[in-house]
Amino acid sequence: MIEGLFNQTNYVAAKKMLDVTAMRQEAIASNLAHLETPNYKRLDVAPNFSSELQQAVASKDAGRIKSVSPQLAIDATAIASRKDGNSVQLESELLKLNQNFMEHQLEAQLVTGTMLKLRLAITGKG
Amino acid sequence: MINILTGIDSTSSALNAERIRMDVVSQNIANVNTTRGLNGKPYQRQQVVFEAALKDQLKAGGPPGSSATVVNVARIESANRAPRMIYQPGHADADKNGMVAMPNINIHEEMVDLMSSSRAYEANLNVVKTARSMALQTLSIGKR
Repeated sequence: MIEGLFNQTNYVAAKKMLDVTAMRQEAIASNLAHLETPNYKRLDVAPNFSSELQQAVASKDAGRIKSVSPQLAIDATAIASRKDGNSVQLESELLKLNQNFMEHQLEAQLVTGTMLKLRLAITGKG
Repeated sequence: MINILTGIDSTSSALNAERIRMDVVSQNIANVNTTRGLNGKPYQRQQVVFEAALKDQLKAGGPPGSSATVVNVARIESANRAPRMIYQPGHADADKNGMVAMPNINIHEEMVDLMSSSRAYEANLNVVKTARSMALQTLSIGKR
């Protein structure tokens, strides 16, 4: 009965996106940690995740959204521009760090908003 | 233990590694004129070598690059460049031509190393700060 309240596709998708931002934060932390490690290749969330999530959201099936599992992978688009074969660039990595932080904020607010609306519906007062 | 700050293992290992690198650089700068080291020869420039390591062996089974890694200082090695020769007759370590073998350290190179090391340190501190704000946001989910 109560599951129905928490199985709206948007809510489930927001939760999934929160998981992904936490995962991307881990990848960026690893990338910035390895700023000076020779032959290190930068990590990111595997690129097929976003298309899979889009398809799952379009199908409006909460179970399918839940089953999308993001993974970390070596970023094939990053080019090692330095002599030591390392493909991490400090500036772009810091920008991604900030962008990821903002995304996390947005998704946390989405989840909070859903919960507050639900509470309003239950109690009748905001 | 629960991991509230995401990626803290990588970041703390990097802070540690950069600190070791700074220590080595300061040791090099301090010994820029040491003509007689422990082995009786001029001091040789030391440099750190970083390597990536998996943070836990449980994840070692996954495909390569599918999990975050930590930074280790693999080794500290001596640079095998030739010593700087300067003319200084009368020096206790001068050879018969009056040339003294000085350590193979270039002070400018060391300063650049020091700077890039402190920049990397700063970047990693930034990561911790962001991870902390993210954790606080997550903890306040559901509150107004």
